[in-house]
Order: sequence, then C-alpha cells, then structure tokens
Amino acid sequence: MRNFIVTLTLLVPTLLLAQIDRSVRPEAGPAPKINIEDSEVFETDNGITVILSENHKLPKVSFSLVMGSAPMTEGERAGLSDVAGSLITSGTTNRTKDELDNEVDYIGARLSADNNSMYLSCLTKHMDKGLELMSDVLMNANFPKDEVDRIITQNESALASAKSDAGTMSRNVVAKVNFPEGHPYGEVMTEESLKNINRDAIVSYYKKTFTPKGSYLVVVGDIDRAKTEEIIEKYFASWTGSNPYKAELGNRNQNSGNRVIFVNKQGAVQSVIAISFPMDVAPGDEDYLKLQVLNGLLGGGVFGNRLMQNLREDKAYTYGCRSRMSIDEYGSYFTAGGNFRNEVTDSAITEILYEIDRIGKDLVEDDEIKMTKAYMAGAFARSLESPSTVARFALNIIKNDLPKDYYQTYLQKLEAVTKQDLLDVAKKYLTAGKCNIVVVGNEEVVDRLLPFDGDGKIEKLDAFGNEVIERIPADISADELINSYIKTIAEGAEGKKLDKKLKKIKSMKEVVEYQLAQAPFPMKATQVWTNDGFEGRKMEGNGMTFQKSYFDGEKGANWNMQGGSTPLTDEEVEAKKKSSGLISEMNYKANGMAYEILGMEEVDGKLAYVLKVNDGKDDSFDYYDKETFYKVKSVVITTSEEETRETVINYGDFKSVDGFIFPHKLDVVIGPMALNGKVVSREFNVKVDTDSYK
Amino acid sequence: MKQVFLLLVSFGLGLSALAQREIEYVEYDLDNGIHVILHEEHSTPIVAVTVLYHVGSKNEKADRTGFAHFFEHLLFEGTANIERGEYSELVEKNGGTLNANTSQDRTFYYEILPSNQLELGLWLESERMLHAKVDSVGIETQRSVVKEEKRQRVDNQPYASFFTEMFKRMFKEHPYNWVPIGSMEHLDAAQEADYVDFYRTFYVPANATLSIAGDIDIDETKKLIKKYFASIPKGQAINMFRDFELMSEDAFKSKYGVAKSDFDGNNFMNPKSSASKAAVKKQANTAIEIPRPEKSKDQLDGVVKDVIYDNITLPGIFMGYRFPEQTHADMYALQMMNDVLSGSASSRINKSLVEKKEMATFAFSFSYGLEDAGMGIFAAIAAKDKDLDSIQMEFDKQIDLIKSELISQDEFEKIRNQYENQFISSNSTVAGIAENLADNHVYNGGAEKINTELENYMKVTREDIQRVAKKYLTQDKRIILHYLPKEEEEQK
Repeated sequence: MRNFIVTLTLLVPTLLLAQIDRSVRPEAGPAPKINIEDSEVFETDNGITVILSENHKLPKVSFSLVMGSAPMTEGERAGLSDVAGSLITSGTTNRTKDELDNEVDYIGARLSADNNSMYLSCLTKHMDKGLELMSDVLMNANFPKDEVDRIITQNESALASAKSDAGTMSRNVVAKVNFPEGHPYGEVMTEESLKNINRDAIVSYYKKTFTPKGSYLVVVGDIDRAKTEEIIEKYFASWTGSNPYKAELGNRNQNSGNRVIFVNKQGAVQSVIAISFPMDVAPGDEDYLKLQVLNGLLGGGVFGNRLMQNLREDKAYTYGCRSRMSIDEYGSYFTAGGNFRNEVTDSAITEILYEIDRIGKDLVEDDEIKMTKAYMAGAFARSLESPSTVARFALNIIKNDLPKDYYQTYLQKLEAVTKQDLLDVAKKYLTAGKCNIVVVGNEEVVDRLLPFDGDGKIEKLDAFGNEVIERIPADISADELINSYIKTIAEGAEGKKLDKKLKKIKSMKEVVEYQLAQAPFPMKATQVWTNDGFEGRKMEGNGMTFQKSYFDGEKGANWNMQGGSTPLTDEEVEAKKKSSGLISEMNYKANGMAYEILGMEEVDGKLAYVLKVNDGKDDSFDYYDKETFYKVKSVVITTSEEETRETVINYGDFKSVDGFIFPHKLDVVIGPMALNGKVVSREFNVKVDTDSYK
Repeated sequence: MKQVFLLLVSFGLGLSALAQREIEYVEYDLDNGIHVILHEEHSTPIVAVTVLYHVGSKNEKADRTGFAHFFEHLLFEGTANIERGEYSELVEKNGGTLNANTSQDRTFYYEILPSNQLELGLWLESERMLHAKVDSVGIETQRSVVKEEKRQRVDNQPYASFFTEMFKRMFKEHPYNWVPIGSMEHLDAAQEADYVDFYRTFYVPANATLSIAGDIDIDETKKLIKKYFASIPKGQAINMFRDFELMSEDAFKSKYGVAKSDFDGNNFMNPKSSASKAAVKKQANTAIEIPRPEKSKDQLDGVVKDVIYDNITLPGIFMGYRFPEQTHADMYALQMMNDVLSGSASSRINKSLVEKKEMATFAFSFSYGLEDAGMGIFAAIAAKDKDLDSIQMEFDKQIDLIKSELISQDEFEKIRNQYENQFISSNSTVAGIAENLADNHVYNGGAEKINTELENYMKVTREDIQRVAKKYLTQDKRIILHYLPKEEEEQK
C-alpha cells in the first residue's frame, strides 16, 4: 500500500506533462507600446537651458551640467583640458579637497566633473546639501597649487604607463592620424606637453569653458518643476561668466591611399588593429540614422554583424571585432578593429578591409537589415529603462537642432531605412581605399603590413602618435657645435679676427619676400639690426603693414593691424635679451641662454646635430648639418595666451655676403600655413629708421 | 589604465538588497527541480530571461581547467532545433540582446527582450538546457575564440595576471587554485567524453535557476514556463532523452533495454509500452549526483612573497589575505571595513597613498567573497620612481591603524549612508533584479535577501569592523606579489 502511494505521487507530475513540439518557434505577442514623456525645457536669466525629466521610481535625483563651449586647441599644452577637468573638484575657496571629498561621501553622493561638465547624483533627501557642494565647486573652484602639482605628477605616471597599454596607444594614434594639426580631437598629451601645463593655464581654461551662457542643466529623477525652479534660483542664479567659447575647426585629414601606421609594443602577443578614416557628417544630418544602421550591420551593436561573424565566428581570429562611428559636431570618424593574435594580423586587416569595401559595393541582405533594425529598436526600448535617457533625448534635440518629435517617431524613421539607403551612405562615407591602418603590436608583425600601405612606406609612431625619431648620440659637445657653426658662417674667422670682422658691421637690413598660398599678393618681411642692440621686424603686403615689432635691448612692443601695440612683458624682455646679437649663438653663454645638444637625426636625408635652446619662455630646436655646420632647420615653439604655435623654418641656398654665410631661401610652416621665402636683399651699414618699427 | 581596474573595484559593491522599495516576486520549484523566480514590473516594455547554472570553474577537474567557461561559449552554438550561429541571431533579430558569464561558482545566461518576445526567450533557454548541440566545428572555433579572449583580457593586459597568481598561491587544495579562464593546454587536451560528461552532469534542471523580471504577467508566464521547462525530463531521464536523440536504435536498446521507437520526442515521458514507461520512470527517479567541492580549508601558514615580471612600465604591488566565504557572518563587517579603507575618494587608502604621499597612481582594496572561501586584496600601482617597499609600509600603517583604533563616528556614518545609497541605486534595471534574485537564492540563502540584506549591514558596529580587521588582516599570513617591468628581469 505504501509503495502504491509513492508510485502514485510520482506518477502525477509525469502525467501532467504537456506535449510540446520543440521545433515550432514561438511567435511574438502584440508589439508593446513605447511611451516617451516630454521633458520640460526652460531657460534661466543667466543663460542656462534647463531640461527636466521627472521620474519618481526611486528617491534619487541627478543634476548634469554641460557647457556650451567648443573644444579648444591646446597645441603645446595638449592635455590641458583633461588636467583642468580632473582638478575642478580639488577644493574651493570655502573647502579644501579633503573637506569636499568628505562632505560628498558623507551623504553617499557622487559629485564629479570633467573638462566640459559637472555631475551630481544623490538621494532626494540629501539634495540640498549636494547642490550646496556642487554650486560651491562651480563658482569657487580654486585649483590649489599643491593639487595642481599632484595631478600633474599623477599624469606623469599615467603617461609612463600609457607606454605599456596597447589600447591607449591605439586610441592616441587614431586621434592623431585622423585629425589635422591643431584640431582638438587630434591632440594627445605627451610628457613634453604636460610640462607646459601650469595653474594659470588651467584657471584660464576653466573660466573660458565653464560659463552659464549656452550651458545645459539636465535634471532627472525624483523632483518636480516647482522644486527645480526653486533650487535653480537658490544655487545657480548667481553664477556668471563670459560668452561660451566658439571655434570653427579645420577639415579632417584625407589620405590618397591606405596608410599603415605601426606602433611598437614590446612583447605584445596580440596586435591591436584600428582601421579608421574621417567622416564629414554631424549628428543633425539627414544621413545620421542611416549611418547608424549601416554601422550596426557592419560591426556595431548586433553580435551577428559582419565583422564579428567573419573574424570571430568564422575565422576565430579574435574575441571581438567591432566598428564604431564617432559622430559629433566638431569632428567625426570611423574605426573598425579589435585585438588579434600576432600570426593573423595581416589576415585580419585583409578581412576588415574586405568588409568595408563589400558593404559599399552591393546591397545588403534582407535578413541583415531586418535584424539590425530590430536590434536597434530593441536597444532603443531598453535604453528607456534608464531615467536619464529621456533627458538625454531632450538635450540631443536642442544641441543638434533635431525636430521636436525626433525620438517619438524614431522607430518609424528607423523602419523606413532601406537597403538602397545603406548602399548610398556606404558609398558616400566609407572610403575603403583611403584608410588609416593603425597597428599596435610586436615588431615581428611589421613586415606583414607592407602590402597594405599605399606608398609602401610604413610610418612608425610612438605611444603618443609622434614620429619615432631615430636620434643617435652626438659626437661633439654643444659648445663645440656652436664654435664650429660660428667659424663656418664667419668663413673661417675666429677669435680676434672675427671680432674685428664683426666690428665693421654697424647695422643690417634684410628683406625677404614670401609667397603664400592663401594670399594673392606676396608678403614682404623686413628685419633690421643695429649694433647698439636694436632689433625690428615688419610684415607688409599689398601696400599695408600687417605686423611690426621692435626691441631696443631694454623694452619693446608688438603691433598688429587689428590690435594695435602691445608692450613686451617682462618675461618677453628677458627672453629677447638672451637671443640678442647678429649671430645670437655667439652670445648664448654670456646672455644666459639655456642650450643642450640632444643628438643627431636626419634632416632631408642628411645627418644634423639637434640643439635645444630655451630662452626662459619658449623652446626651439635648431638643426645644424653635420658636414657643413650650416643651420638647416629651426623649430620654434611659441606660446602666447592660450595659443601654442609651432613654426618650422627650413633654410637653404647658403651664400656669402660680405664675409658671412647667410641662407637665402626660407621655407616656413606655421600651423596650416606654408610660406616660401626668398631673400631679396641683405645690406650692411645702411641707415635704419628705428621709429618705423615702433 | 583606469578601465583595467573597473571590473575589480566593482567586486566590492556586489550588493543586492534595497532599502525603500521592496522587490516583489514569486518563486516555486518545478517537479524536475528547476527553481523559478518571477518579478513583475511594467515601467519599460522589456523582459529579462535568465538561467543560472550552479557550476563554475571550481567544479572543474584539475586537468581540465577553463572548461566551465569554455562550455559557456559552446552553448551558444545551437541545439537540436537551432542551427549553428542562429541562437544569437534569433535574439537580435527580435530586438533583444544576450550574453553570458562564468565565475568560479556559477554560469549565468541571459536574454533581454521586448516583452512581447518572452516566449522566445523561454524557448531558447529551454532548448539550451535540454539538448544543446556541440559539433567539432563549433568546438574548434570557440577554442580559438577563448584563446583570443585570454590573450586580450589577461596576457596582453598589464597586471591582469595578478588574479591568477593570487588564487594559485592562496588555495593550494581547493579548486579556487585556478581562475575561470583556465589553461589553454587543458582545453586543447579535451576529448569528446569530457564535453558529454560535463553537459550531462551540470546542465540539468535540478542545477538551474530560472529568474525572470520585467513587463510580464505572472500567470501567463507560469503557463509558458510549464510548456517549455516543465516538459524537460527529470533526473537521469534528461540524459535518456539526450541519448534518444543521438544514439542509434541498437545502442539505445542495449543501454536502456527498451526500443527507441517506443518513444516520441515531443512527449518523451509517455512512451507506448509499459516497459518503456517503467524504464523512463526509473531514470526520472534517479537523481543526478552533482559533485561539489567542500568549503576551502586552505590557510596560509606564513608570508608568501614573489616577484612577477610583466610587460609594464610602473611597478605594482598586490597583497592577498584569506577571507571567509561570502555567506559567513563576518563578511558584512569585512565589506564595510573595506569601504572605510577604499570605498570612495575620501577613504583612507586613496587619501594616504595616492593624494597625500603621492606614492601610487592607483591604490585600492577590495573584498572578494566566493561560495567556498574569500579573499581580501590590497593593490597599488606605483607612481613614477616610487618603490614598492615604501608603498607596502604605508599599506601596513593603514592596516595597523584600522586594527588598533575604532573608526571614527563620522567615518562610520559615512559608510552607512553610502550603503543606503547603493541599496537604493541597485536593482534599477530588470536584468539586475533577475540576476540578484537568482544569486541570492543560490548563494546567499534565499531570494528574500534582496530585500533584507541592508539590515545585516546596518547591524554592523564599529567594534565589529575592528574585530574583523584584527581577525583577517593577518600580517604574518599573507601573499605579497611585486610586479616589475620585464626589462628588469633581463638585466638580472
């Protein structure tokens, strides 16, 4: 009997099992409705656009303040904005960093800032305390000296470790090769640029960028309109500042063929491959959504995308291969790649290029576009789970000038994208034959990369995207170099003989004519020198004087057409003093100029000594030919206000004039500008009208 | 640099309870042993379908390490009804996303789908549980993919091997000796029998928790679960079903003594003849023995000090202490102790090593609680030109301090406020809720912990924190690893 019961109870569930045909795939139920609530948008008197998205699911609230300034070119101070960003929460005039950290942590809040924004998130009950801290930071951040030093030291360490991190190396180089010199997105912090970052520059960056005008305050969470207005009045109304910084940024780089860039990472077991190119598109453009679908299908969101299927599931070259389109109003670019074991580095590049090429040639399959669109629709729905999504949508609409119902009708717009649309945008934007192929990896893979390069020359860059300069040690000292140089240009004269020769020169006047691609008329540059220490420069063209400057040994000024005359600062005067003289090298020692020989490297295929010179203000690098000792090239790094400029001068056509050798050809590159100069006259002991330079 | 450590820092924050909002759920067992947990919430039209298998790298044989994780990869390859490559495609083309992960203790699969695709998710997961199909092409492909994953995540990643090195030294006996990624040689050596055994032992209903959260109707969902999961045979009958699908008539007959033709795959538990009925019933009543290691008894008996040369620029130091298993009562105090040391910007380690003394670029500690044992880890990457010994001295100073003095009332309040915030913020997504419910059920003594865990933290006193610091931060029993640049090894 007992056995019988046991058997029975065991039988019950068995008999209850339903029949099931597992080969029948379930059908979807009716599509769920997606509701996107409108955010409230209003502007404050001091110019903040407030976007409020109420969500009372959790007793939390967040405030995200985003500035309206454009990214700034940092040049010689590349990395400035990042350093400044990480210092914003380093203390205020009311609180030390320790106090601030403690007060934030005490309420379990998060308060953070970066180079362009500030963010607070906390429980609703701690909101007032949190906002008090946020507004204190916003208005009173004081960038204490010791914190600045600490963050700079920390960045030094980070830069050191970046040299062993393949991912960072790859990102640095991709940035560098896709954007032209001077574009903020192409700037990468280096050990040299970090040295130029100081507290003044940081404060000035902060003041310029963090300003209420044109900024956005995104409020999300457990808060209503009335309370929002109240807290804005209380914590943000007294915030003032200038107009946001605006900039027109230059064109993207464009190659004529594929360009291979190799970065050496010792001991690497994988190559980090990034195939990239700039794209001329902004988020508000009509093609934007089509491009997102295209990228999703090629190597974006879906696991079943072409790159993943080909390189991981089919070939097993990698754990992941993806593509990305980074599109924003200041600069957009495409990248595709991943990490691949050394042996398949070349095969992986071949396959990625093949996929980029293929998608621009033929219509994609129905299945693929269907899957990608479904995936994107799903991702869109999933994103709505986060309360900040709705606010982000509102911010995008305003920033990118999108139609008000852009997100409400997003799914319909997505559904309307066709295979032909994808082929059209692929043809328009994907430049399979003009890619920047960046490989960070083991030196042993370099030879395999050669076939991919358009001109058969692989560029080697370092971890920061700078050319690997293969510099060899110099075989003479800096003083020996200077002596040899002076002797050369004085045509053999030395010591007293040279003094005698120089004494005869009371003044000099040199006129150089520059041809400038951008200007229809030639520019005339006049430079004068007198033996009582006066130096003057003038730039004229088309009957006008554009710039002039002078220095008389004690004071001087710069003048330009727009801004008038500005006297030289003390720092500039000190610097000028160090480089005075007809042949300034002769006086380096006496004038206290800092100089050192860095080694030798090739300039136009010939070895040259590299002399680094610092006048207390700017660095310059002078290149002296190893055989002739002629000064063949100068690189001058100048900084004024926020701007850093690199000027490269190549000298040529050396000829003797009154017993001295001078160059007669000067090719100058300043940023995007190139000038070809020819000396039209050089006269000694002429009368100099010093006033015309003042 | 930063991203390398993100994953590690989050370990300490694996909290799963909520203070103010009660998470409602229903839970029950199916007859075949699957534990089901359902949470209904309609704010977003999505649903998370998850299955947790109570198997991880600690269930591996010592000569087959990495197998659990490898298996996770293989189980995306397809089933009797799903072609190779189709599994993820089905999810994605229906607007969903999917993934899985493997730890020492568990293998976790999930799909997040539009809520009208709930049934698809259930079908997919039930297919995976019942009759995954593993062929040689899939094995070869995934073998290479896993090798690339290891190269990317460990070999080519500065300092990333510290995890492996630490566990190797801490657990000499327990299978925590190796980490989930395992050995590539072992994967190469694996034979077909290994795969079959692993699947038949661990991928069975009694070892699974099905946890679903999102825009669902509980009653409707129960019906669908019955259709797809209750139909999965119980006990050894699941393996009989698998044999039925794969074996020849003769092999099946000789193994079970009944004819294969008696059975219908769509109604397997009800074959034609009574002999077959008895045979399948017998299998259903034979439970599957799931081997599990005992709790780790490994203890350090002194200071273990080693140098590891890696492709790095800045030296690093990693120190390991033996902590108890995650369910041990001391773990609440240990986690709070860890937060005093390393929970936020104002906590002690960051303030001293990184900000005040500027000896480290990154410095932190975390407590790592597993099912059978735990570990506390202190880690720092040296600042440029700073040496590891002085970093260690500073760590030791901080450790001595938390052992010798009670933490201040302010610090204590701060930690408690932080926990409150964390609890409210956790469980903000349906996928997170499904996962937390399953985790709490399997590892923390019940799904209800999702709502009650905060109380346990709030009970911890300052004295408790000092007590556990004294008990577990044993300076005479710890592991100290120095990471040095490879070039220094070459110069030696």
